[in-house]
Amino acid sequence: MIDPIFQSDNYLLARKLLDGAVLRQEAIASNIANAETPGYRRLDVAADFASQLRSKLESGTLAQNKDSLAPSLIEDPHARTLRPDGNTVEIEKELLEMNRNTVEHDFLTELVSRNIKQMKMAISGRMV
Amino acid sequence: MNILSGIDVTAGALNAQKTRLDIVAQNIANAQTTRGPDGLPYQRKTVSFETELLRNTKAGGASLQSVHVGKISPDTTPGARVYDPSHPDAQKDGFVNMPNVNMAFEMVDLMSASRAYEANLSVVKNSRQMALKAMEIGK
Repeated sequence: MIDPIFQSDNYLLARKLLDGAVLRQEAIASNIANAETPGYRRLDVAADFASQLRSKLESGTLAQNKDSLAPSLIEDPHARTLRPDGNTVEIEKELLEMNRNTVEHDFLTELVSRNIKQMKMAISGRMV
Repeated sequence: MNILSGIDVTAGALNAQKTRLDIVAQNIANAQTTRGPDGLPYQRKTVSFETELLRNTKAGGASLQSVHVGKISPDTTPGARVYDPSHPDAQKDGFVNMPNVNMAFEMVDLMSASRAYEANLSVVKNSRQMALKAMEIGK
């Protein structure tokens, strides 16, 4: 019975984006670990995850498709390099991206948290 | 999935970089060693890394790759020959075969290894912060 309450678009989006943030953290960890591996191509979360989320949100079918949407890792097709070893990792960019990703993750956890707090408040009738 | 995302990738890299630092330390320490256990001058060691396929992510995407130390191999280029007849390891013609350690190379290697180590440590720090935040959901 409580299920439909957790089907709001905002909550579902935050959950999916959290999955994406965690996977991106893994990709960045892999990129920084392989910063000196010749021929390594940097990984990133596939861009079609965000576009799929957007199209599902706009067509109002996010709740039906919540299980089929999952982020995946791909080799970044846009990464270019001038390094002779063919490695496409730029460590400064990765560190910046990691910090941005952490802030995004913090924001999303806060959003999910607030959603749950509101629910608790509605159930108990007092501030929690 | 780990609680600390990407921690096993980073652990491999930290370990590999630490081995590289150890080897650089060994090279610098032996920069003047003209007689090793085999009676020959010390040969500098170089570390080569290998990628390690960790797991395939679901949905058939690219897979995560960690690194580990593949091989520690000696650099076989000859060292300098220095004229020093009073040296205990001097040959008959008065020349001493010195190790092929180049201090400048070693220092550069030392710096890049410790910078790489620091970068990986900052990944651990951020992953930890993310995990702590995730555990606060609903509190």
